[in-house]
Amino acid sequence: MSIFRRNRLLAGGLSATLFLAACTGGGSDEGTEDAAQGYDPNATVELTWWTGQTSEAQTVAEGLAAEYHKLHPNVTVKASPGAPTTDDLLTKLSAGFAGGSYPDISYAYGNWAGDLGASGKTQDLTAYVNEPSFAWSEMPAAAREVATADGKVIGIPALVDNLALIYNKKLFDDAGLAYPTDDWSWQDFRDAAKKLTNPAKNQYGTAYSVSGSEDTTWHLWPLLWQNGGKILDGTKPAFNSDAGVAALETLRAIAVDDKSMYLDQTDEKYGPLFNSGRVAMMISGPWSLLDITTAKLDYGVALLPGVNGDHQTVSGPDLWVLFDHSDANRAGASRDFIKWLTSAEIDAKWNLKVGNLPLRSTEKDSPEFAAYVKEYPGGQKFFDNLANAKQARPTVAGYEVLSRNVGDAIAKVLQGVAAPKQALDEAAEKSADAVEQ
Amino acid sequence: MALTFAATPRTQPEVSARARGRRGRAPRRTATGWGFAGPATLLVVGLSIFPAVWAFFISRTRWNGIAPARDVGWRNYERLLSDPDMAAAARHTLVLTALFVPASILLGILIAVALNQRIRLIGFYRTCIFVPYVASAAATGILASFVFNPQFGAANEVLRRLGLPAQQFLESPSQALVVICVIALWGEVGFTTVVYLAALQDIPQELIEAARMDGAGSWRVFRHVTLPELRPVTVFTAIWQTITAMQLFDLIYTTTRGGPLNSTQTVVYYIYELAFQTQRLGYGAAAAYLLFAVTMLLSLAVIWYSRRRGSEAF
Repeated sequence: MSIFRRNRLLAGGLSATLFLAACTGGGSDEGTEDAAQGYDPNATVELTWWTGQTSEAQTVAEGLAAEYHKLHPNVTVKASPGAPTTDDLLTKLSAGFAGGSYPDISYAYGNWAGDLGASGKTQDLTAYVNEPSFAWSEMPAAAREVATADGKVIGIPALVDNLALIYNKKLFDDAGLAYPTDDWSWQDFRDAAKKLTNPAKNQYGTAYSVSGSEDTTWHLWPLLWQNGGKILDGTKPAFNSDAGVAALETLRAIAVDDKSMYLDQTDEKYGPLFNSGRVAMMISGPWSLLDITTAKLDYGVALLPGVNGDHQTVSGPDLWVLFDHSDANRAGASRDFIKWLTSAEIDAKWNLKVGNLPLRSTEKDSPEFAAYVKEYPGGQKFFDNLANAKQARPTVAGYEVLSRNVGDAIAKVLQGVAAPKQALDEAAEKSADAVEQ
Repeated sequence: MALTFAATPRTQPEVSARARGRRGRAPRRTATGWGFAGPATLLVVGLSIFPAVWAFFISRTRWNGIAPARDVGWRNYERLLSDPDMAAAARHTLVLTALFVPASILLGILIAVALNQRIRLIGFYRTCIFVPYVASAAATGILASFVFNPQFGAANEVLRRLGLPAQQFLESPSQALVVICVIALWGEVGFTTVVYLAALQDIPQELIEAARMDGAGSWRVFRHVTLPELRPVTVFTAIWQTITAMQLFDLIYTTTRGGPLNSTQTVVYYIYELAFQTQRLGYGAAAAYLLFAVTMLLSLAVIWYSRRRGSEAF
């Protein structure tokens, strides 16, 4: 999802109506005994790979597919974007399931995992990724969790990211304030935001999206977790606990009492406003670095502010989902391909090349990572911050509905028309039916 | 938005008695008939009726498009009736329709009367009024979101020069729906204008002359001759614009996406949100069916009313 947002920012004003969603991915493989039972690695197979990428990243993907064909002449990987935008992939997949023509491998947003897992068309990769040669544990825990739906691993992380605090150094210098540190509390954040707000200059301390989309919702989850709360308790919404109310109250105080938070109705404006020096601090992910660098802004990155020293963040991993076609050779070959694609060596040529964080911890010593950090100075902090992504968004069918309701609740509270407790209770009530299938 | 006026032939083509008599020809005639009607029938059945019937079955299930559907009977419909978001969406649709339909009819009549004068460059003025209608609503929406941008838009610039306070427009929950209505009017008023212009030119000149002979001034001619003559057309424009308002989607999608605080979320947008944003296809289909039923009942009521009054718009 991160790249999706990044491209929307890139496209700027004109993209107001176009969904541009290019994504980048890495991948890995795993499998179940059933789908690839009796797999013959030398059989001639043709695999369909929906990359979910556009333009430059798609070219890189096609190059990698050709490279794999050279190494394994019996395997032809047909790489196509799959849909005009990454958002449309889910619709294309659901149409493909109905018509019986779905790909072997598809890119997928992490929050689709629950729905895709319930389709019954995915491979069970649990045993495959747990083979030592796969080195599953090199991938961030939160990403591994997202790839697991209903206890089964259905895909391999394709992209990992997380949220951190990005700040404009010049605005801090002008205000005579010390830069944010990794030990900040939310009170420090609030105080700084207040001092950095200047209505006369149209300058805000921080910003938040109130469009009610997933962008609104997932920025709240780290705060919820830091306060000791949970999104779901079993299959019941639990975000309206005291922890959830405390989390939302933290944001409400900044937005309503202090008025030091720019409320973005669209998801698309706060990035450009940060880049143009109107917003001093923004909570965002590594996908923002490209635009910030293009805007030649002097910026710094710190871990999220914390509650009692807990600075955990949220990760929005995307996946390569592998599908079962009742053909052991195709199933086995697609696993091997994704294992190759998400190996430390190849992932460095893929995710790092297109500006994403590396998938595997072992890539930190690669020359590609050194080049990445040189180009994007904040990259190292985001990479380190992967360790703070301790919990994942739930991979249950119905998360989309829950996310929408929580997004609406946050939007109401930050615009001062509802109290945190009342808004979250209402969202929980509306979501209960969707997640308790 | 295709608009077709079907002309009913005055005389029935006479079927020759001989042709009817020869039995061998009948199948061929039937085949020829279907040869003409078949392709269109296939299109209508395949692309409209079949999906509509299928959607009805979907509306009785719980389905996200991916996992197998589960039959829930009428539960989706029952839930709709107690869904606060649905009620809010219906309210927004009603407000939008109540603002849009009368305004587009009044403006249409006013502009049509103005454009019915013999003045220089009349063709140019008429074109200007109609051009926004031809432009796609998506383009209109994008353009409007620039104009009404609270920080950099032209609308606030005008207010500033007039010494009035800047407004939030599409970013304010209380103003957004009205602004959307204004944008929709800008795009759609060309349509009602053209319809009324044609109707005005259809009014027999003798009627107006007779009224003037009897000493009626311009206003009384307009009030007692022109307006009554426009009534059948008004029934048509009222139904048409009501349907347009109730189905308004592209403009909302390109400007506010239903926000801020869901204040511009109309029934159609809510259906989109349900079915394609949160993957509740069954529930969304049920909402679509409810909208269909309401639209049809409304249209039937207006047609019934106008038939009783003796108009023949439909």
